[in-house]
Amino acid sequence: MSVREPLLQVDGLTVEFATLRHRLKVLEDVSLTVHPGEIVGLVGESGSGKSVTAMSVMGLLPDIAGVASGSIGFDGTELTGLSRKAMREMRGRDMAMIFQEPMTSLNPVHTVSFQIGEVLVEHFGASPAQAHAKAVELMAAVGIPDAARRALDYPHQLSGGMRQRVMIAMAMACQPKLLLADEPTTALDVTIQAQILDLMRSLRDQFNMAILMITHDLGVIAQMAERVVVMYAGQVVEEGTAAQIFDRPAHPYTRLLIRSIPSARHKSARLDAIPGSTPSAHAFPQGCRFHPRCPEAVDRCRTETQALHGLPEGRSSRCWRSLEALQDTVAAS
Amino acid sequence: MRQVPVIGPIRRGLQSDFALRFRRSRNAMIGSVLVSIVLVVAIFAPWLAPYDYEQINMLAIWRPPGGEHLLGTDALGRDVFSRILIGARVSLTVAGSVLAITLTIGVTLGMIAGYFGGWAETIIMRTVDIIFAFPELILAILVAAVLGTGTTTVIIALSLVWWPGIARLTRSLVLSLREEMFVDAAIASGTRSWRILLRHLLPNIASPIIVRASVGVGFIIMAEATLSFLGIGVQEPTPTWGGMIRDGLAALRTDPHLALFTSLALAITIIGFNLLGDGLRDLLDPKVRDQ
Repeated sequence: MSVREPLLQVDGLTVEFATLRHRLKVLEDVSLTVHPGEIVGLVGESGSGKSVTAMSVMGLLPDIAGVASGSIGFDGTELTGLSRKAMREMRGRDMAMIFQEPMTSLNPVHTVSFQIGEVLVEHFGASPAQAHAKAVELMAAVGIPDAARRALDYPHQLSGGMRQRVMIAMAMACQPKLLLADEPTTALDVTIQAQILDLMRSLRDQFNMAILMITHDLGVIAQMAERVVVMYAGQVVEEGTAAQIFDRPAHPYTRLLIRSIPSARHKSARLDAIPGSTPSAHAFPQGCRFHPRCPEAVDRCRTETQALHGLPEGRSSRCWRSLEALQDTVAAS
Repeated sequence: MRQVPVIGPIRRGLQSDFALRFRRSRNAMIGSVLVSIVLVVAIFAPWLAPYDYEQINMLAIWRPPGGEHLLGTDALGRDVFSRILIGARVSLTVAGSVLAITLTIGVTLGMIAGYFGGWAETIIMRTVDIIFAFPELILAILVAAVLGTGTTTVIIALSLVWWPGIARLTRSLVLSLREEMFVDAAIASGTRSWRILLRHLLPNIASPIIVRASVGVGFIIMAEATLSFLGIGVQEPTPTWGGMIRDGLAALRTDPHLALFTSLALAITIIGFNLLGDGLRDLLDPKVRDQ
C-alpha cells in the first residue's frame, strides 16, 4: 500500500489571506496525501481550514489569498504556480468538486442535461448531441430514474437528493482522478445522505477515483473514509487510518470530537460539547493552538509550539503527549 | 357537491406560464397593442401614407383636418398624417439603434466590471460615474451640438448618455449572481470565463435588462423629439415629431392641429412603451409578480 505513488500530495502548505492591516496565515504547514482510489476524510470544525485546503488544491483561492509556501503535487504535476489556463483545464477534467448546497449549485435557467454536458463540451469539445447523450448516460449511472426524461428538467423540478446526484454526474463527466466533496451530504435528509454516500463509494470502486471528503460530520467519515486527517485552527493535528482515529485517537482534540458525537447507547444527560470555539486566524494562541480548550493542557503546552510528529503504525499527531496517551490505552485494554 | 379545483399539469413549461400571465396583465396587453401599432406604422409608413411626405403644395397650406387631408396640412401644405407616419419611422429607427448600441456596450462592460473586478471595473465604473454627473439631456445636446446635426449624431449622442445606466444595472446584477454557488460550481468544473458570462450569467440577468430597455425606449424617443424640437436632431426635409411640434407651436393659436396630432402620436408611443415596460416588470420581477 505504501509503495503506491500518491495521487495528491500536499506538503507543508501555508496559505495567507491579505486583509487591509494583516497577513493572516489561515493554513500553516498542512500536509496530506491521497492515493489513487482512496477515500480520505478531512475533518474539523468550521474555520479549521478544511475548505481553504480544498480550494487551494482546486486553485480556487480568492484573489486576496495566496500560497505562501509549501507544495501541492497532483498526479506528477506541481499545482502551485501553475498558470490560470493550465489550472482551469485541469479542473473538471482531472479533479472535480461537489458542494454542500445542491439547491443552489445548479443554474436555474438551464436544463440539467445542458449543465452536465457543458463539462464535456468544455474539456473534450463534444457536440451538443453527444453531450446530451452522455449526460443521460451519466444520470442513469448516478441512479436517477427515467434519466432520458429527467435530463430535460430544470433544477427547480428536482429534489435536493436528485440535484446532488446531478452534481455528482457533473463531477463524474470527465472521469476525474480525484473528487473533492465539500460537505456533500450536510444539506440532505439522513436517508438520502446514506444513498449519496453509497453512490460515491460505488463510483469510487467502479472508476478507481480518489475522494477527499471534507466534512465536520464524523458519522459520515466513519462510514466512508479509509484514512482521516483532522484539522484544527489551520493545522493538521492528527492523521491516521479510520480505525486508528476512531478506536484510539492520539490527539486530545480528536478524542473530544469523537466524544461529542451524540450516541443512543451511551446516554448522558448533556451533550458533550467542546468548550470554547475555534480561534480566528488573527488570534491563534501561543504554544499548542488547542491548549485553551484542552482539558489535559499543562504548562509546556502553553509555551511550546507543537509540530506534527510520527507515531507507531504510520500515524501522526501534533500533541507531544500522544505517544504516552496511546500507550495508556494499550495498557488499559 | 362542491367543485374540486382541478390542479393543472405540473410540468407546465416556462414559456406557456409566461404567456398566461402576460394575457392577464392589463398593462402589458395595452402596452403591447400600442407598441405593435406604432411598429407596424413605422415599418409600413411609405405604403400607408396617402401623400408624399415631401410634397409641397402652396395652394393648400394650413388646411384643417378632414376633407382631402385627414389631419390637415402644415405651413408648406404638406400632409400632416403622412408626415406623422414617416416621423414614427424616424423615431423608432433612432430608438432601435440606440437600444442596440447601448445594450451591447452597457451589458458587455457591465458584465466585465461585475465579473472580473479589478482595474477593468475601476475604469468602466468611473467612466460611468463621470457621464452620470451630467444631466442626460444636457449632455446629449452638448454632444449633438459638437458633432453637428443628423440621424447618426442623434444616435451617438443618445447612446453615449444611455449606456452607463445599462452598465451600472448589469454590474449590480452580476455582482449578486457572482455569489451564487452555481457560478462557483461552473468555475470548479473548469468552465472558461467567457462561457460562464454568456451561458450562465447572461440568461439570469436578461429579464431585468429587458424591462429596463423597454421602459428606456420611451425616454429615448422623448429625447430624440427634444433634440429635433431644438433643431439639433434629424433635419428637414425628413419629418420628425419633435420638429413638427416645433413648427406647429408657432401656429398653435390659429392652426393647432399640427402640434396637437403630432404630440398625440408621441404620447401614444411613449405611453405604449412605458405600459409594456411596467407590465413586463410586473411579470418578470418575482418581488412584485404575485401582488
